[in-house]
Amino acid sequence: MKRAFIAGIAAFAGAALMAFNAYSEGGPKPEPLPKAKTIAELAERYDSERCAECHEDIYDEWQYSLHSHSILGSPRTAPTIITAIENGIKLFPYSGVKNDEDLTVEHLMICAKCHLPQLDEATDDVAREIVATIKGWQQAYRDGDTDKAEKLEETIASLNIGCTVCHQKVAIIHKWADGYPQYDTVYGSSEGDHEDEELVKMAEAPAIGESIFCGQCHGLGPNFELDHPSQCATLYGSYLFAYVAHGGSETCQECHMEKSGLGHDMQSYKDEAMIDMALDVKVEGRSIFWRKNKAEGVVPIGIIDVSMYNKAGHVIPDG
Amino acid sequence: MPFPGRLGRGKEMGRGPYEKSGLLRETSLAPGKTTHETFEITYPFEDKEKDGKTRRELIEDELTVTVTLWYVPFGEFDGNEVAFFETEKDINLKTEWVWR
Repeated sequence: MKRAFIAGIAAFAGAALMAFNAYSEGGPKPEPLPKAKTIAELAERYDSERCAECHEDIYDEWQYSLHSHSILGSPRTAPTIITAIENGIKLFPYSGVKNDEDLTVEHLMICAKCHLPQLDEATDDVAREIVATIKGWQQAYRDGDTDKAEKLEETIASLNIGCTVCHQKVAIIHKWADGYPQYDTVYGSSEGDHEDEELVKMAEAPAIGESIFCGQCHGLGPNFELDHPSQCATLYGSYLFAYVAHGGSETCQECHMEKSGLGHDMQSYKDEAMIDMALDVKVEGRSIFWRKNKAEGVVPIGIIDVSMYNKAGHVIPDG
Repeated sequence: MPFPGRLGRGKEMGRGPYEKSGLLRETSLAPGKTTHETFEITYPFEDKEKDGKTRRELIEDELTVTVTLWYVPFGEFDGNEVAFFETEKDINLKTEWVWR
C-alpha cells in the first residue's frame, strides 16, 4: 500500500513537472553575459538583421513598427529621454545625478525598462554614450549638419526592440514556473531545431500570444519596482479593468497583428487599419431656432451630434 | 486623455515620464462605450430696421459643417496630430422665418 502511495506521489510529481515543462524550454537562471561596453556592442548583440535572412517578411514588417526604433521614437522618444534627465533626474535631490557623467544604467532604466530592456546588459558607459549621442543628434539638427544628424540618428535607431528582445530576453514571464530564457534558444510558437549559429533551438514561449506578454511594457501604470517609478503606458491596465472586466475577450495580438493584417508591423494611432478598427463615429446634424433669452432673442443654430463608439480593447488614447 | 498626477500626489498634473504617476482625471474614450459630444453653431444673421421695427434675418440659411476627430498625441497641433475621422454635414434652416 505504502509503495503504491509513493508511486502515486511520484506519478503526480512527474505529471506536475510535465505540466510546466510541456509549455516551454526555459531553464536555470543563466550566468549574465559580459556587459556590452559600447552602443555598437549592444546593438550587435540584439541585431535583427541576422534574422532577416530566413524571416524576411517578418523583418520587413517589423522595420515599419515603432519597435524598430524604440529609443528614437516618432522621433519624440529620444528628446523626451533628454527631458527626463534634464528636467527630472538631474533636479531630484537624491538621484545622485548632477551632470551627464553621473548617469548610470539604473537612471536610464526609467525609460529603458520598456524602450530598451537590454540596456541592463550594458555598462554605465553605454548609458552615457546613449545620452551623448542623442544630444549630439539634437545639436547637429540645430546646426543644420544633416549628414551628422542622420548618422547619429542611425546609431540611435540601432538600439531597438528587435526580434530577440521579445523572442528571447523577455520571452518568458514567469521564470520560476517556466524557467529562464536560455541563450541558445529562440522562443515563439514552435519547438525544434533552429538554423542559427547561436540560437540553435526553438521553444514555445507560454504567453507570447497572450495580452500579458504585451503588458510587460504597455503596462499597468507606475513601475513600482523602480526606485523612482515612471509611468508612460497604462494600456494593459485599461485592457484588464475597462475591457476584459466588461466582457471583452480579444487579445492585443488578435487585433494588432492578426485582424489588422499588420503582423509584426505593430501600429497604433498613425495607421489607417488601426484607426478603422478603433472607433465607429456617427455624426447627425439639425437646425433649430433657439429662443435663448430676452437679451439675445431667437438665435438660429445648427446642432451637430457626434457619437464615438470605442471598439478597441483599451481606452483611446493610451500607450 | 489621461491626466496623470505629478509624482502621484496632490492635484497637479505631471507631463514627463519622470513625474507622471496615477490618474487625476480620465477623459479618454472608454472601450465598449459610446461617448457623445454636441456642438452648437450659430447661423450668421443680422438685425435689420424696417418701418421702425427690428427684423432678424439670416445671412446664410445653409451651412456645410466639417467634423474632424483629431488625435493630438502631444497636446498641441505640432505636426504629430492625426485625423481619426472626418466628414461633412450639410444643414439648413430653409424656412419662412421672421423674428418675433
